[in-house]
Amino acid sequence: MIISLNWLKDYIEIDLSLPVLIEKLNMIGLMVEDWEEKGSDVILDIETYANRPDTLGHLGVARELATALELGIKERKWPLTEIEQKISDLADVRIWDDELCPRYSGMVIKGIQVGPSPEWLRKRIEAVGLKPINNVVDVTNYVLFATAHPIHAFDLAKISGRKIIIRKAKDAEVLRSLEDSDISLTPEMLVIADEKKPIALAGIIGGEESSVKESTQDVFIESACFDPVSIRKTSKKTGISTDASYRFERGADISFPPQAALMAASLLTQLGGKAAKGIADVYPKPKKEKTVVLRHHRISDLLGLELDGEFAERTLASLGFQAEVQQKGVWQVKIPQFRVDVEREADLIEEIARFYGYDKIPASLPPLRALELPVDQKRERINKFRQLLFCNGFDEVLNFSFSDPEKEARLQTGQKAIEIRNPVSSKASLLRTTLLGGLLENIVWNKNRGAEGIHLFEIGNAYFWQNETNREQLTLALATTGLVGPVQWHRKSEDTDFFRIKGALESLMTYSRYEPFSFKEKDHAFFEQEYSLAMIFKEETVGYCGLLKKNLLDSYSLKEPVWAAELNLALLFEKQPYSFEFTPVDRFPSITRDVSFISSRSVLYQDIKEVVEKLAIPGLMEFDPHDRFSGSSIPSGKISLSLRFVFRHPQRTLLAKEVDTLQEKIINA
Amino acid sequence: MKDFKSKIEEHKKRFEKALSGVKDEKSLQEVRNAFMSRKRGELKLLFEELKTLKPEEKAAFGQMVNDLKIHIQEKIRVRGELKVIKKESAALKASSGKIDLTLPGQKEYWGSPHPILLFQQEIENIFMAMGYFIEDGPEIETDYYNFEALNFPPYHPARDDWDTLYITDDLLLRTHTSPVQIRAMEKRKPPIRIITPGKVYRRETPDPTHLPMFYQVEGLVVDEGITFAHLKGTLEHFLKTLFYEKIKIRFRPSFFPFTEPSAEIDIECTVCAGKNEECRVCGGSGWIEILGSGMVDPQVLKNVNIDPEKYSGFAFGLGIDRTAMSAFQIPDMRFFYENDLRFIRQFTLK
Ligand SMILES: [Zn+2]
Repeated sequence: MIISLNWLKDYIEIDLSLPVLIEKLNMIGLMVEDWEEKGSDVILDIETYANRPDTLGHLGVARELATALELGIKERKWPLTEIEQKISDLADVRIWDDELCPRYSGMVIKGIQVGPSPEWLRKRIEAVGLKPINNVVDVTNYVLFATAHPIHAFDLAKISGRKIIIRKAKDAEVLRSLEDSDISLTPEMLVIADEKKPIALAGIIGGEESSVKESTQDVFIESACFDPVSIRKTSKKTGISTDASYRFERGADISFPPQAALMAASLLTQLGGKAAKGIADVYPKPKKEKTVVLRHHRISDLLGLELDGEFAERTLASLGFQAEVQQKGVWQVKIPQFRVDVEREADLIEEIARFYGYDKIPASLPPLRALELPVDQKRERINKFRQLLFCNGFDEVLNFSFSDPEKEARLQTGQKAIEIRNPVSSKASLLRTTLLGGLLENIVWNKNRGAEGIHLFEIGNAYFWQNETNREQLTLALATTGLVGPVQWHRKSEDTDFFRIKGALESLMTYSRYEPFSFKEKDHAFFEQEYSLAMIFKEETVGYCGLLKKNLLDSYSLKEPVWAAELNLALLFEKQPYSFEFTPVDRFPSITRDVSFISSRSVLYQDIKEVVEKLAIPGLMEFDPHDRFSGSSIPSGKISLSLRFVFRHPQRTLLAKEVDTLQEKIINA
Repeated sequence: MKDFKSKIEEHKKRFEKALSGVKDEKSLQEVRNAFMSRKRGELKLLFEELKTLKPEEKAAFGQMVNDLKIHIQEKIRVRGELKVIKKESAALKASSGKIDLTLPGQKEYWGSPHPILLFQQEIENIFMAMGYFIEDGPEIETDYYNFEALNFPPYHPARDDWDTLYITDDLLLRTHTSPVQIRAMEKRKPPIRIITPGKVYRRETPDPTHLPMFYQVEGLVVDEGITFAHLKGTLEHFLKTLFYEKIKIRFRPSFFPFTEPSAEIDIECTVCAGKNEECRVCGGSGWIEILGSGMVDPQVLKNVNIDPEKYSGFAFGLGIDRTAMSAFQIPDMRFFYENDLRFIRQFTLK
């Protein structure tokens, strides 16, 4: 809300320096977001809240400030020059829908000379950032920015039959607006109509034909209240938002229409017009004033301080509330009708707290009366995974959940993507069904900026429809490409490869006790055939890893191989890891034996491993491949594989001989 | 008898000397052969000799020879596993005998946490130390949990401040993590003390201070006798821990549909402390908006069947991205989601 300091001074005596004034306003909740000196005036841009339409005018802001400064509001008189003719002979107001228009007041000003406004009025209008149009329109804007109550002026001569009917639009009715465009009306929209047709979209915008022009002589002033929801729906549907609709959709003061009409009439008669006698005021179901019970102890209970009852009374009175003592420590508070936001005791306590000053409320800590036991380990598990991935040399990234339909299609996850109805852009209209798309973008971004080795992970949700239900699936994605580790004087950097991704997955599983797990060759849409493994835990596939397909990489213009993995953490975390148990440390030394042999390339390590495991050799603690090579010394199609076996006896030192026998057994197998 | 013992000692010394001369895989293999060969290794010979001793000597020295064997085996294994052989020899060659100790040490490449999540964890830790429990909930929410239960009636203009991305008439991307608070209050009984970190979404065109997705942490405390003073004390403690002890904090009235009274919390500008009228971070006001908060609206409590006459509560929320921006003086929110490694990796140092 734009506020002119000079205009405020019409209502209160302000004698404060600007910084102090701004501070005062901020501390009662009227946040000054910006300010600017304009000639002798200061223009403040004040943040106002959706529940406080009363502060969308100078009077409302003055009322708040007056309470903070313990000042009174200057009353102003609105004298009229009247003629004998009665309004009832000039205009006939009928409300056909009193739900959507609970009150409608009107006055008629005759013989106005439409033309430029006087200097003082032009200044006020310009101060709030509007362009002066003519004296009649400027007067209506003046009333709006003074009181927050929107009013409208019609050319009386253009109101057919002098009938003003507030009704819903009929099918196919059209209103030509002031901007010369046709608004198509629909039957739920409220209009102001004359005998024949709509002349205004109620509370939003007037029609062109009935608007006040140079030729206008007699003016009908409309000052009404409309249903906020109906105004908002119509404003949204037609896409028209005006200063008037902005206020009406927040709620208007139902007691105010006659007064707003009077103000406008008074100003117009000061500009040469003459008012017809009386006011047309249709108010079929007068609204009762609300009352709210306020208990003194609740103020302390909610704010945590002892507050003087007299302060509460004084503050409420200054804001326009009437607090009557009902019994000791209990008030019956009448709510002024311009305060559409106040309905409960808590609302009143907020008023008192605002003017008491939030800075004066003490600070203390709430007692801790109970502690809870954790229900799941999800957060701990995620953090453990993150730590393990940092140790494995993967950097963490965060991508938007949005995805470009074109790119999403290329990833072929087979999931039905969730579409956003009103996306920020057409390139962000889906929710991602995989996290790998984001990682590929990140690789491109960093490659273009000179990164040689890029190893990334992200933990977050993938989203998709599953049998009409929206699903969010916690997912981990990893990708690695280029050099591993920093270039160092004593260690050559090597290119990343498949075993880096696999190793990362193995360490996640092992160090989180998700064991035993296994890998199985299995095709996947992301990965090249024969370079794709499924990771299996408790008989379910919890993830995939492999070499990303060439055509996928091509679509990102990536030339080097990218190895990647995606894990369904939602599924994995549902499964329990094995529970930790301490195992005594062996007291006897182990014996290590290396066995090298030449085998066919087509024999998989997994097969060898299974064979050895089947032997169930006593004392064999662990074994691992420690060398594997092929070359000139090895027949083609064959490889040399060295396995290292560690033997240990739990109760005594093993003898070399025993180990020799065991080794024989392995070699023979 | 003495002879045999000194023989064992001698073998051991010889082994140590040989091992210290190991420079590469090849020389290690030579040592292995010399001492451990099953045909002519020194240990083998020693065992052979052991057989020639008298029974009582056999018993005494048998153990010693066995110990030596284990010692040698273990040393050779460890030496092999250290895998330093090649490097050391290269270094030795380069410095003709003496290693240049001024060369930098070995660097490990550790991944870096994303600054947003790093900061989120810092925030979580502060609240966990105050007995808060971390809750999460769905990002795709219903209109009820995102708005209605939080006291935003349909068509209320307050919804304009939470510009929403819709999936269907009823499904939307949560605009705040407040729905998690509602869900928590539905399933728990007071006392409740939770924080709800997570992604939230708004229909915003990206610019330096707005993005369609960002991170938020909200908190909620509901119990008997919870007051606005408790809200102040809690948030003061939080901000002083997160920033620094002497930081100036300001509470001022505001409006949120789900709290009454409502407050916004500003901290003094972390860049200029109010001393620069041209400051870009605070716009010269000296203050930065950091938190929205308030006492839980009685209607919100009623919506989840908590009696507002018996219980009261406070709630607060802050944008993690924006808070991290002021803490690290990052001028553009979009930096967080570019995922430039030169940006992210700075935070390994944090
Ligand atoms: Zn500053």
